[in-house]
Amino acid sequence: MFDNYQADGLFDEVFASEGHPRKHYSSLVSRLKGLGQGTFEKRRRMTDVLFRNQGITFTVYSDTRGVEKIFPFDLVPRIVPAAEWDLIERGLTQRITALNLFCQDIYHGQRILKERVIPPDLIYGAKMFRREMFGVNVPRDIYIHICGTDLIRDKDGAYYVLEDNGRTPSGVSYVLENRAVMKRVFPSLFSAYSVRAVEDYPFNLLQCLKHIAPHHADDPGIAILTPGIYNSAYFEHSFLARQMGVELVEGRDLVVDKGFLYMRTTAGLRRVDVLYRRVDDDFLDPLCFRSDSVLGVPGLMNAYRVGNLALANAVGTGVADDKAIYPFVPDMIKFYLGQETILPNVPTYICARDSDRKYVLEHLHELVVKSTNESGGYGMLMGHQSTKEEREQFAEKIAADPRNFIAQPIVQLSQHPSYVDDHFEGRRVDLRPYILYGQKVIVMPGGLTRVALRKGSLVVNSSQGGGSKDTWVLEEE
Amino acid sequence: MAVTSELSASDVAATTLITVPAMVKLERPMLSRDADGMYWMARYVERAEHTARLLLVNSNLLIDVGDLAEELQARQWQSLLSILHVPELPDGPDIEQRVRSHLAFNPENPNSIISCLTRARENARGIRENISAEMWENLNTLYWSTRADEAPLHLEESPDDLFRSVMTGSMLFQGLTDQTLNHDQRWLFTQLAKYLERTDVTCRIIQIKYDILKSNEQMFDGTLRNLYWMAVLRSCCSIEAYRRNYLGDMDPNRVAGFLILERNFPRSIRFSVSGALAAISAIRSSSRGNVIDPTERILGRLDTQLEYAELSEILTEGISNYLQRIQTAIHEAAIAVQQSYFLQ
Repeated sequence: MFDNYQADGLFDEVFASEGHPRKHYSSLVSRLKGLGQGTFEKRRRMTDVLFRNQGITFTVYSDTRGVEKIFPFDLVPRIVPAAEWDLIERGLTQRITALNLFCQDIYHGQRILKERVIPPDLIYGAKMFRREMFGVNVPRDIYIHICGTDLIRDKDGAYYVLEDNGRTPSGVSYVLENRAVMKRVFPSLFSAYSVRAVEDYPFNLLQCLKHIAPHHADDPGIAILTPGIYNSAYFEHSFLARQMGVELVEGRDLVVDKGFLYMRTTAGLRRVDVLYRRVDDDFLDPLCFRSDSVLGVPGLMNAYRVGNLALANAVGTGVADDKAIYPFVPDMIKFYLGQETILPNVPTYICARDSDRKYVLEHLHELVVKSTNESGGYGMLMGHQSTKEEREQFAEKIAADPRNFIAQPIVQLSQHPSYVDDHFEGRRVDLRPYILYGQKVIVMPGGLTRVALRKGSLVVNSSQGGGSKDTWVLEEE
Repeated sequence: MAVTSELSASDVAATTLITVPAMVKLERPMLSRDADGMYWMARYVERAEHTARLLLVNSNLLIDVGDLAEELQARQWQSLLSILHVPELPDGPDIEQRVRSHLAFNPENPNSIISCLTRARENARGIRENISAEMWENLNTLYWSTRADEAPLHLEESPDDLFRSVMTGSMLFQGLTDQTLNHDQRWLFTQLAKYLERTDVTCRIIQIKYDILKSNEQMFDGTLRNLYWMAVLRSCCSIEAYRRNYLGDMDPNRVAGFLILERNFPRSIRFSVSGALAAISAIRSSSRGNVIDPTERILGRLDTQLEYAELSEILTEGISNYLQRIQTAIHEAAIAVQQSYFLQ
């Protein structure tokens, strides 16, 4: 099954050199070989049926009909040894702490701007900067309660942070479902390893939400706000509501009265004190943001601003995951915490800067250009795979609105064996761990390993043909 | 005024205790939208089951009676359409095949099996966090089994199997609903929906079949009449229970009486109305205390009527009329539920 397996000059997660698995993978590889192709294929079909019957799906916007798709699941788990994880955990804790201090600062004293660490025009030019939040005190000064940070590895195997998702990161439900399915289909693979559990994530999330409840609420009403069943992450919203035992609400279930938020129930109105909202800032409150939004609740921002309602994540955190502000995260860490950055950034050119833009326009063919506020792999140019026309188009776009673009050198990403037809081939992977910031910072041991299932592709997003793997973080030996 | 002024302080306290029962802890209320979803999920599953059963029973009946006059055969198939409120049928030669595929797989027909299951699942998906994993998986599996590419082919080859799998799928779903869901408001709304739907369909089955028999009395001799009424009982999943009570005597009035008035049989109209009443009473008392509920009033009156009804009186009034009145009440009850609980 591993015959003809090629590393193609990339960092391979499993094999140190041809035919020689790394220490923490050796027992998995021998077990997989022991299973044989027939058994493996049978188990693979079993997982497909499991996913479909359990309705573990996501929605693709471009399809009009048959909108639900199964998130392709790749049966070979990714293994992260304890020492590597220790570094990741420390790095992510440091990052979320600094990002929260940054949000607090930006919406209050703006010390970081006054001391010229970050150019103010970048902040004020950020689409996701919410002036409505200026001077607003959020519960316990926490802005980013839930963060999903994307990590990648370069050719030398070093981890880099590709981006921080501090608005409404999704995918955590797949981490939990992948693990559940994996245990059902391949219980024997677990026996050789002591894998750290991820199952307490919903419990930790609930604690985190309780932690920010307003003081008036002894027994806070907690709900998840979803845009509805046609949203791509609806499965996850429903999954988390189920796991935490809280209500899943839509905008039409809610109403604001005298500065408090209520939901409509069969017994009349019931107060909501904490809302884990999976609706973007723009759509939260038609009186405050987009007036055409039907997903939100008129008056919600008022309830929030006077402190009768807690939101997770806070409004305005988008300023911290703007891609043109991302290059300053190491400076934030230094500025707020006085520490050196544990997990480095990918070098980034900010097109709003004249010198950077000049370099970017001259080197489009070897850079990745990204729009600063898009996510999900939309609005990107992969320089080395692009045509001349595409590059010209992007050059025009950059010239017209430089603040909206950044560029990065192409990081190759590490690869990991995936099951393709009847054998294993290398496919690029990244890793999105989930971090909770409540009473303390909790990094979920594991995360979503996303796989670019198309050969040679570097884009792992589910909307662009990506799949996922179970991710095993090992206990200390 | 005079009455109020005569009330002592302790009387006032007692009154307050009754209207706001401090000792009875009201349940955690559910979202109106979720209640709506639970209700329609259950109703559509029940409806899919009835459609499947009617199709199955009807084709078996036609096999049994052999070459029934063509006109009567067409009439038989047509009656299914009236029972299921399907106004029109696409054109084509073979009526049996047309009715079957229209009622089973036509997505344009809102009452086809596939439409019912799709809508049941859509509702379930919207309230996924309110139902158990077992219920969801069962409903989802059932849905995919009728959506698979080979399903229409399956219908051609062995329609019985397909209809049976929908029926058992629905039964399994109801069993899982009873055994894996907390019997709180969520569950109560599924019961209310199931019994309202069952009452409604059962009324129409009896009414329409009874009319066919009455208007073609000369055609139904002994054997044919027996087969025909056995099929009606089968359509209501009641043949064995009936036989145990009446030793297989297929007297039309007796069959109708059984299906309408039998106290202990879960498919009878009387039983279903009681079930719906019990559900709405429990919903009302757990969410609003002692406030009068319009749905409960309608169903309560109906339930009492059925409790004291006599078959001879029903026959004097005319079965068709009597059933029509029940259906009207059921429709009013369904609208009242909607208004008091879903459109808050």
